[in-house]
Amino acid sequence: MINPYSVLGVSQSASDEEIKKAYRSLSRKYHPDANINNPNKDQAEARFKEVQQAYQQIMQEREYQTSGSAQDGYDSSGDFGGFGGFGSFRGFSGQYRQADAGPTESEDDLHMKAASNFINSRHYREALNLLNGIRDRNARWFYYSALANSGIGNNVIALQHAQEALRLEPNNFQYQLLVNRFQSGGSWYQRQQDPYETTYTVGSSWCTKLCIANILCNLCCGSGMCCGGVPGGYI
Amino acid sequence: MFGYIAINKAEMKFKDYDVYHSYYCGLCKRLKESYGIRGQITLSYDMTFLIVLLTGLYEPDTREVTVNCIAHPLEKHLARTNEYTDYAAAVNLILSYFKCKDDWEDERRRRRYIEARLLYPHMRTIQQQYPHKIAAVSDNLRRLSELERQNEQNIDLMAGIFGNIMSEIFACRRDEWEPSLRKIGFFLGKFIYLMDAYEDVEKDIAAGTYNPFKEAYQKDSLFAENSRHLLTLMMAECSREFEKLPILLHVDILRNILYSGVWCRYTEVTSRR
Repeated sequence: MINPYSVLGVSQSASDEEIKKAYRSLSRKYHPDANINNPNKDQAEARFKEVQQAYQQIMQEREYQTSGSAQDGYDSSGDFGGFGGFGSFRGFSGQYRQADAGPTESEDDLHMKAASNFINSRHYREALNLLNGIRDRNARWFYYSALANSGIGNNVIALQHAQEALRLEPNNFQYQLLVNRFQSGGSWYQRQQDPYETTYTVGSSWCTKLCIANILCNLCCGSGMCCGGVPGGYI
Repeated sequence: MFGYIAINKAEMKFKDYDVYHSYYCGLCKRLKESYGIRGQITLSYDMTFLIVLLTGLYEPDTREVTVNCIAHPLEKHLARTNEYTDYAAAVNLILSYFKCKDDWEDERRRRRYIEARLLYPHMRTIQQQYPHKIAAVSDNLRRLSELERQNEQNIDLMAGIFGNIMSEIFACRRDEWEPSLRKIGFFLGKFIYLMDAYEDVEKDIAAGTYNPFKEAYQKDSLFAENSRHLLTLMMAECSREFEKLPILLHVDILRNILYSGVWCRYTEVTSRR
């Protein structure tokens, strides 16, 4: 498709909120329910879908950039439909495929290759079934297991296995990237929590705050009758 | 199970709180209208989150009425209702019914048996509207009980089953947002399950009932911190997916819950220990 930003009529530097606003106004305009009496309603529906796809593509891309995650995390539906090749690890898997080809491949090697293919095509359960049958668990096994587990939502195991792969091969940049990716969510989330000062403060109940505010008001105004009113005056 | 999807009231603007509360009142009203007093007593704030989320996403027509409050008889409250209130009321009942059944089967608490029986007639009505949802909740809870009996220690597996339940509940319809809503529900469900285990670990050790954190609680000196890390992983996945939805309406309320409110019980429990 063409530039998704131009479909929504926004610039590439637009904020998330601007993108959402643009999406909302366009989707409201082209929504099937809003175009029942429109003679061009098929066109409207086509535009609606285009706007939808453009929005989802942009949000997917932005997630990839900010958190370093490709779209191969937990896949609830199994049929996302192509969003284009954003998965950087696909390139790496391609390398492995070439490296493994050879007449002396063991059964385990074949299983590992098949597991990697399953992961590429987002068939994570099949990948895990294969991996569980492999006895020799080297760093790459843990790497694939991390990816497959991440795909079915086992993010705890995914992180543990990614860390294990890295521990077994500390100089492996690809494994380091995966560990970083799995941990980046947590760092991003903690930054999102910054505006909320009282999340982890103990004794920050509403009553306490109100009492403290009242006391402070009494000290400031002296009248104790109001907050934000004229000091010393009556409401 | 209930009570973790809450707001951090101290960090919320007055007007946002009023809006949030009006959806809660709307849910209460709908529960009473559809399922009587027995339905009303299942009211929780958790499903209010779902209403606000779906309202923010779909921006449906919403009715506002003033109602008398059964819990505060001298007060009149503003109640907001829309089609998602209806959905949330049904879901609330489903979850409450199975929670009661579960408690009865696990702990043989007589009161729970009675509550389940009282809700049963309404379940039969809901069965016709949402058979798939009921089956998903029932099957997953049964699987959870089975694995608890086997003392399963894989927390991704256990939390994931509860995640499946919430995922099914959040996917209120088949459309372009279904995958996102499922993912949000899934990781929120995992968070709730782990938070529940975290809070109940001492009680479960004393009673000898199942809890995947028993060993960690007793042996890990950094239990609170490590648990927080786990819980953060869940909320991170949930929230990241949430931010991809084109929600503008009520977004401050939703963010308050996702980034702050869900931690209220964690903070309380941890400081108590």
